[in-house]
Amino acid sequence: MSFAIDKQGDIVVVDVEGQLIVGNRQELKQKVLDELEKGGRKFLVDFTQTGYIDSSGLGVLVSLSKKIREQGGELRLANLNDDLKTLFELTKLDTLFQIADTRERALESF
Amino acid sequence: MKELVAILRAFHQTMRCGVSVWTEPAGGGALRVVAAAPALDGLPPRQSLPDGEGEQLRVRCGDSEMLVARVPGPWHNWVGLGPMAACAADDPERLLAFMVPVVAQQLQAAMEVEAAANELAERYEEINLLYTTSEILGRTVSLGEAARTILKEISETVGARRGAILVHDRVTDTLQAVAALGAASEEIPPIATDDPHSVSARVFRTQQLVQLEADEPTYAPESDYRDGAMLSVPILWTAPDIGLPLGVVNLSGRRSTQSFTAGDHKLVAAIATQIGTAIQNARLVRESLSQQRLLQEMQLAHDLQMRLLPRVTVVAPDAVVAARVVPAESVGGDFYHLFPLAAGRTGVMIGDVSGHGYRAALIMALAMSAAAIHAQATDDPGQMLRAMLASLREELELTEMYISGFYAVLDCNSRVLQYANTGHPHAFVVSVDGAVDRLHALDPPLGMVEDPPSAASREWNSGGDLLVLFTDGISDARDRRGRRLGEKAVLDTIIENRAATPAEIVERVFDMLSLHTGDTPRRDDLTLVITRS
Repeated sequence: MSFAIDKQGDIVVVDVEGQLIVGNRQELKQKVLDELEKGGRKFLVDFTQTGYIDSSGLGVLVSLSKKIREQGGELRLANLNDDLKTLFELTKLDTLFQIADTRERALESF
Repeated sequence: MKELVAILRAFHQTMRCGVSVWTEPAGGGALRVVAAAPALDGLPPRQSLPDGEGEQLRVRCGDSEMLVARVPGPWHNWVGLGPMAACAADDPERLLAFMVPVVAQQLQAAMEVEAAANELAERYEEINLLYTTSEILGRTVSLGEAARTILKEISETVGARRGAILVHDRVTDTLQAVAALGAASEEIPPIATDDPHSVSARVFRTQQLVQLEADEPTYAPESDYRDGAMLSVPILWTAPDIGLPLGVVNLSGRRSTQSFTAGDHKLVAAIATQIGTAIQNARLVRESLSQQRLLQEMQLAHDLQMRLLPRVTVVAPDAVVAARVVPAESVGGDFYHLFPLAAGRTGVMIGDVSGHGYRAALIMALAMSAAAIHAQATDDPGQMLRAMLASLREELELTEMYISGFYAVLDCNSRVLQYANTGHPHAFVVSVDGAVDRLHALDPPLGMVEDPPSAASREWNSGGDLLVLFTDGISDARDRRGRRLGEKAVLDTIIENRAATPAEIVERVFDMLSLHTGDTPRRDDLTLVITRS
């Protein structure tokens, strides 16, 4: 499990490999907050390689989204698998995030 | 020396000339007789004796004259023939030259025996010290007490009058005296392990023994136990892959003028290893005790948490409810609540606080208290959750936690089910005919957004419909190969057993869950509430 950070122009792209759960959520949070501190304002979290997000993982996404918005930035999500899409729909979290089907569409949407 | 005495006597009788052997002890001291035949009254003055090998001198010894030669070898020994006045030998010089190697050989043998005896005595002392040390460590619980006794014993064995045992404090990263000789340990200042001037800190960092000679400067924080040469030895705990430094043993103020020997180094290092094992053992015992205490406290917290959950009979006879909560850790964030309301209505709630452990348990307890207050104040589930959020908002923001919650009010008179759902994914009505209706989340979880929760309603077939609520711990439960149980499997079991009592249905679902997970550790709390009213 790890988080790869990549820059596509002024967009910070975070790839979540494996799971986003109680055990590693702080690592993701810290990495994104570090980028926010460095001036990053557009963030995309790509879940192509993510199998599972637990309730703590969802919590950290909401918390990051709030913090980024407070700085005038934006957090978008891409490539949720079917299970994760259902999870976002069932918990109404899909109303809180802009979710794109592919990385390209998400990048274009900024 | 018996052999030497016999040889001298035989020589005296055969040659009719007296013979004596004198020695000057190593490190100085008065000349003394080793053996003589016959015994003489006095001793020759030391300065008159020859120092060169093969040299023979006539020297005064009391009233007599003696012919003396030095015995070759590292020791200061002489052979003297005489008194010359009573010596019948024709050629005393030749006789003396004959006697010197004979005496040398005898003395060499005698000295070796003495050295071996001394060595043996020394080894005996060392073994005795090691034995005493392990005995002290074996029967003492307090490390400080053991350290003081060991320091005293080891100092006596190596002849040191000063010393200190310093142990690493992991919180402050300093070396602190737990025992001292020649000073009060509590007055010895702690030394930072990265102190560049301290010998103790260097020994701790490098895990290598250091011997300071008497003329090397003393570092002020180490002056309390330094007097002349100082031996500083690391206390190590050695595991198969690592040598962990735990402290330092310092010894100084040696009684003799000589420096510490290689034997002393080895002995102190052996003792230091024993002390290291004792320190590590004491630490492990302490950690194990605190772990045990923590487990007991967690168990207590779990019991308290379980007691917060209501008995299912509080809503009888209007509703029949079965519920079960199994926390992943001793305390968790899942909960349910039941409220008997006016005019035959029943309030049923399920909640899942994000995260586990104490913080989640605390939020869960707060949520339950707030729900109990607000459920009596309004019949509208949306307003109830809104009021609950108002009570918890500050705490949720502070802890960055949130609650996915569902609250329904069942009215068996008007046959209406009203509900509010803030991000709870698994809420269903299972009808008598086996149809399943999902009660979708109307809002994201409590604490995630500012907007107040809304409410919806649907028909409720009293006595037939089942309200099924469970948390994602159940549908996400993994088997040994990591496969999720899935929501469908849970619903299928419930549909299959829909005619049974809620208690029986809960039992079946948990049986099926156990078959799926086997002994795989739980990752999340499991909560299931089934209501018929």
